[in-house]
Amino acid sequence: MGINWKGKRRYIALLMLIASIAVFLIAPPVVPVVQLPGEVYPEGWKLFGVLSMPDTGLPMTNTMMGSIIVWVIIGLLTIYVATRRPSSGDEVPRGGFYNLFEMAFEGLYNFIGGIAAGPYQHEIFKVFMTIFLIVLLSNWLELIPSVDSIGFLEPHYEEIVDEETGEVIGEELTDGFETIEILSGVFHLNGKCEWISPEAATELTPEEQQARADRGCVTGTGVELPPPVLFEGADDHGDEAAHDEEQGAAESEEAAPEGEESAESAEEAVAGEAEHAEEEVHIPIHAVAAGDPNVPWVVLPYVRVPSTDLNLTIALAIIAVVWTQAIGFRALGIGYLGKFFNFKTIFTSPLGGIDVAVGLLELVGEFAKLLSFSFRLLGNIFAGSILLFVTSFVFPIIFPLPFFILEFFVGIIQAVVFGLLTAIFMNLATQSHDHDEHDDAHAH
Amino acid sequence: MESEALITLGKAIGAGLAMIGAAGGGVGIGLAVGGAVQAMGRNPDFTPTIQTNMILGVAFAEAVAIYALVVSLIILFVL
Repeated sequence: MGINWKGKRRYIALLMLIASIAVFLIAPPVVPVVQLPGEVYPEGWKLFGVLSMPDTGLPMTNTMMGSIIVWVIIGLLTIYVATRRPSSGDEVPRGGFYNLFEMAFEGLYNFIGGIAAGPYQHEIFKVFMTIFLIVLLSNWLELIPSVDSIGFLEPHYEEIVDEETGEVIGEELTDGFETIEILSGVFHLNGKCEWISPEAATELTPEEQQARADRGCVTGTGVELPPPVLFEGADDHGDEAAHDEEQGAAESEEAAPEGEESAESAEEAVAGEAEHAEEEVHIPIHAVAAGDPNVPWVVLPYVRVPSTDLNLTIALAIIAVVWTQAIGFRALGIGYLGKFFNFKTIFTSPLGGIDVAVGLLELVGEFAKLLSFSFRLLGNIFAGSILLFVTSFVFPIIFPLPFFILEFFVGIIQAVVFGLLTAIFMNLATQSHDHDEHDDAHAH
Repeated sequence: MESEALITLGKAIGAGLAMIGAAGGGVGIGLAVGGAVQAMGRNPDFTPTIQTNMILGVAFAEAVAIYALVVSLIILFVL
């Protein structure tokens, strides 16, 4: 805090600009693999390379990691606000951020008061604020650089599934990139070099091969690749690798080796590639060392924005809708059901049948709320994060800035809309139909 | 290879067609905001109320466009 930052921040901005230009020239950005469900962490992953997580039997996904970060931020925020809170009314609150928080809090409380005044304002505000904070923070996570771009280096392949038995019978390598090692164990994808399979490389003309070689590529240059290096700690996947190896070996009519020998046999298999060009050579993809040019690589991000996972949005939507019903029952008692099953007027009024139909429509509407809540948030934020990394891919200097500002506001608006709709639905649920017209008559 | 190319073609066409639905959302948002701005111009004192209702209406109109977007994203990345 001792440094006077006034006037110095511009140099930081300038430094960042130069750094972004340098990174753009050295390592062009790569379009990440887009996938709607959260990407599952590889087996045996460790937090910060040390901490191993307890095996819960559930897969850990990167959107889950994003939610954990949001929880931690909310926890820290709570602690900060609680410690800064003045103990008596006379004391002046300290800290600009605390004052900002208090201002936002008070503004939102009055905002909700304008929509849902009455005995349930306090509770409705609590629900609103909770949803608002969670959604806002998880939306803003996409603005942080390195979310969506730093992650595990993963070989990219698709499992070939036998259609009749549903078993995995092999893998097919798909699109990916070559890698460059920056530090030991730290790689970046080489955006200049898409990975090309050995079969596709034979179809390239010598000029194309030369052009690839000039860009520093390894595959598709006409040069024989070294056999794949298998990493030391391959024991975790030993069984799997051995299993795959057996099938690969069976195809190339070689003796199936057992676990530990799989590394050697893979080398043999690749060495024999020149002679048995037509025979399929099987590489145990799980056990290939990171960055090996024999397989295509993609990045599996450590953290992805949690609102781009349907699990978070649908969970919040269920909480909001169920809580709405709970408040409705508390306010109106069993009469709340009268909103949906409105048989009171069916014999007394000529329009009774319409009332019944309207009530049933409202019942359907409650379920439609689940869909609209969850898909609105998911669609907005997922499209936003795709927009951000596509613009960053197209031209990463300055050009993405307006989109970041746009996403900043989309994040706020979506959080407000989610909370506001919940508040309005809750307010509607606490008012009975019978008094609606009566109140309106008074108001005007 | 032929069938793969056909599948990609179908996906691209389908995703594009699905996004036609976004046009309706755009028209709806335009109407809502246009009406709200007129109302605010005539009656500036009611700006907060009008704004709240406008944002709500915009969110509902946008939801339709977002459904189209989700459908096309699902076509592209899930199917």
